[in-house]
Amino acid sequence: MLLNQFLLLAAILFSIGVYGVIVRKNGVLVLMSVELMLNAVNINLVAFSTYHGLGGQVFALFVIAVAAAEVGVGLAIVLLIYRNRRSVDIDQLDELKG
Amino acid sequence: MASSPLSDFLRSYLTAAIFGSLGFILVGLLLFLSYLVRPNRHQAQKYLSYESGVDPVGSLWSQSQIRYYIFALLFVMFDVEAVFIFPWATRVEAYGVFGLVEMFVFIGVLLLGLVYAWRKGVLKWA
Amino acid sequence: MLATLTQAAADSFQSPSIDWHAFAPELVLIATIVILVLVDAVKLERARPLMPAIAGIGLLVAIIPLATLAAEGGTRSLFEGSYVVDSMSLVLKALFIVSAYIVVLLSTNYVAEGDYWESEYYTLLIASVLGMTVMASSRDLVGIFVALELLSIPAYMLAAWRKGDPRSNEAGMKYYLMGVFASAILLYGFSLTYGVGGSTRLTEIGRSIQEWGTDGVPVVTLALLFTIIGFAFKVSAVPFHMWAPDTYEGAPTPVTAFLAVASKAAGFVALIQVVYYCFIVRPDIIEPVFWVLSVASMTVGNLIALRQTNVVRMLAYSGIAQAGFMLAPFAVVASDPSASLTALVTYLVIYAAMNLGAFACVIAISRKTRSAEMDSFGGLFTYMPGLTAALTLFLASLMGIPPLGGWFAKFGVFAVLVNADTGLGWSLAIIMAVNTVIAAYYYLRVARSMWFDDVPEGVDAVPVRTPAGITISIAVTMGLTVLFGVLPAAVTNLTDFSSVAFGG
Repeated sequence: MLLNQFLLLAAILFSIGVYGVIVRKNGVLVLMSVELMLNAVNINLVAFSTYHGLGGQVFALFVIAVAAAEVGVGLAIVLLIYRNRRSVDIDQLDELKG
Repeated sequence: MASSPLSDFLRSYLTAAIFGSLGFILVGLLLFLSYLVRPNRHQAQKYLSYESGVDPVGSLWSQSQIRYYIFALLFVMFDVEAVFIFPWATRVEAYGVFGLVEMFVFIGVLLLGLVYAWRKGVLKWA
Repeated sequence: MLATLTQAAADSFQSPSIDWHAFAPELVLIATIVILVLVDAVKLERARPLMPAIAGIGLLVAIIPLATLAAEGGTRSLFEGSYVVDSMSLVLKALFIVSAYIVVLLSTNYVAEGDYWESEYYTLLIASVLGMTVMASSRDLVGIFVALELLSIPAYMLAAWRKGDPRSNEAGMKYYLMGVFASAILLYGFSLTYGVGGSTRLTEIGRSIQEWGTDGVPVVTLALLFTIIGFAFKVSAVPFHMWAPDTYEGAPTPVTAFLAVASKAAGFVALIQVVYYCFIVRPDIIEPVFWVLSVASMTVGNLIALRQTNVVRMLAYSGIAQAGFMLAPFAVVASDPSASLTALVTYLVIYAAMNLGAFACVIAISRKTRSAEMDSFGGLFTYMPGLTAALTLFLASLMGIPPLGGWFAKFGVFAVLVNADTGLGWSLAIIMAVNTVIAAYYYLRVARSMWFDDVPEGVDAVPVRTPAGITISIAVTMGLTVLFGVLPAAVTNLTDFSSVAFGG
């Protein structure tokens, strides 16, 4: 069974991604960590689709396409913040609190 | 020959390994050959980074113009949408008229986005 | 990968027969988006005054096919059961489209006077609504995922719409980061669900999970937990609520109303699809999870709402608490699935009416006070009595005072919990009752400030004119809030899902 290795790889990638999202301060690096998590999902889907038919591969294609759209919007928002504040450090976003 | 999935898997990786090591050997061989034939004179100036005859100044990190960003973004969008076109294109006949119409609707919607970007003046280089 | 994929797809390819009638509401919305983009691309700046009108007309036209579909009745299943139009999805689609129409009414003046980008605002709003209507019908993991992203991605941009204001930027950024983090977690859950279920279609996954049985399939638990956590972010359930107050406060207020009502309802719809069509066969896992989420949301939401000084922020925390009430029926889902579903959808419909109304009043009042701080609402009764009365009515409904809609919604959830007659049900019912009392305090505080406090210094007690769009939306939502309370049959007739089949 080769499935386990792929699932393990995906789990590790996913965990690295979660770690990155939580620890990183730079907005762009957080986006990259999210990409890691999404790619972990793709590995899972493609690995499972060896057993379950093509649904998983089609799902993976959709994940890729949607992730691109997501990151496009994310970079636009990061850029917007950079223009207004000259920084992409998300820990400095503290105007709203309570 | 009894072939378990594992040995199949490993065999396909063996091909990759052989291919990869061949690549390394070839590059190494060529570099070694050129090392044998080329003259070998060390000079301090040779280790400066070359910038069209001008002394290199400033930081290594130069920020690129923000307008590149829009183009990069547009490129990524259209590039990734191609992921849906490739599977369709390989089997165009099988999908017939239905697939053709479907794909033109898809491309039409994408083009709408491009028209929008063009009318809003994002595609101008200044 | 592509080669095998296309090979298998093409060998068995037959063009699907499409039920255009079932698709009509979505098609109308798509056409509206295309028209909006084209008009914007052709006329540029001159298109601005046209945009709200086109968006509004598009939304109204989309209701027509909903009505004809409802009149015909029955269940329509498209794409081998991946897309189902039944009575529940029609009610939810109507909820989304009407809420969006009210948001358009609320936005018209706000966006035009604020000198924000206007054309894109409405395009994105309709795109988000399109995602919600697709969500209401999707019975497939891929469909649910794409619908979720279609409704979220425009919302991220809308939250950051006031481009020059760092607070709005921050709202957009926080919403975006939490949103994509949540969807990545959700997707991981989906991928595991696909792994155990062997298909992306919910009914088939439900069947497979049932076949696995209850003995030792930890991966089912894992899949379910990841999926629920992903959705918990969307519906702002504690402990995944951190983004909500900041985003609500920083985003433009009409967008906040949209996020608080339509976007949250869409999150619940997705939860309904996943829970009712694939995980309902494992109540031993889902019920405790939802019990914890529900109790945490209502308690934490209410307690933090107590010390808020900003009305929009208070409404955000009250929304978190309300999400706790809405999650409660899931905790007794196995006892009577259709009763739980009816209680939940009824709550969603009534919550949409009263919360939109409350936000409409806050928007109208902020036109005068220029802030949503509670102090600035002092003595409002003396110079804007109509709005004061309206906001008080919506707050009373949110509190759950009979005979208003909010009372009936809470009563429905309460009845389901008690009728379930399980330990989880009873304990949740008691916690809910306590929380309803706590909630009364902060709603009443706003009301007291408006009715009895003095007008703050430096404010001339001169009323400002409320635009017709906002007046209409307040009138409509107020009518609905009262109607649902006095005549609950008006909503229960729509949300009777005893005939809907669930599970595998």
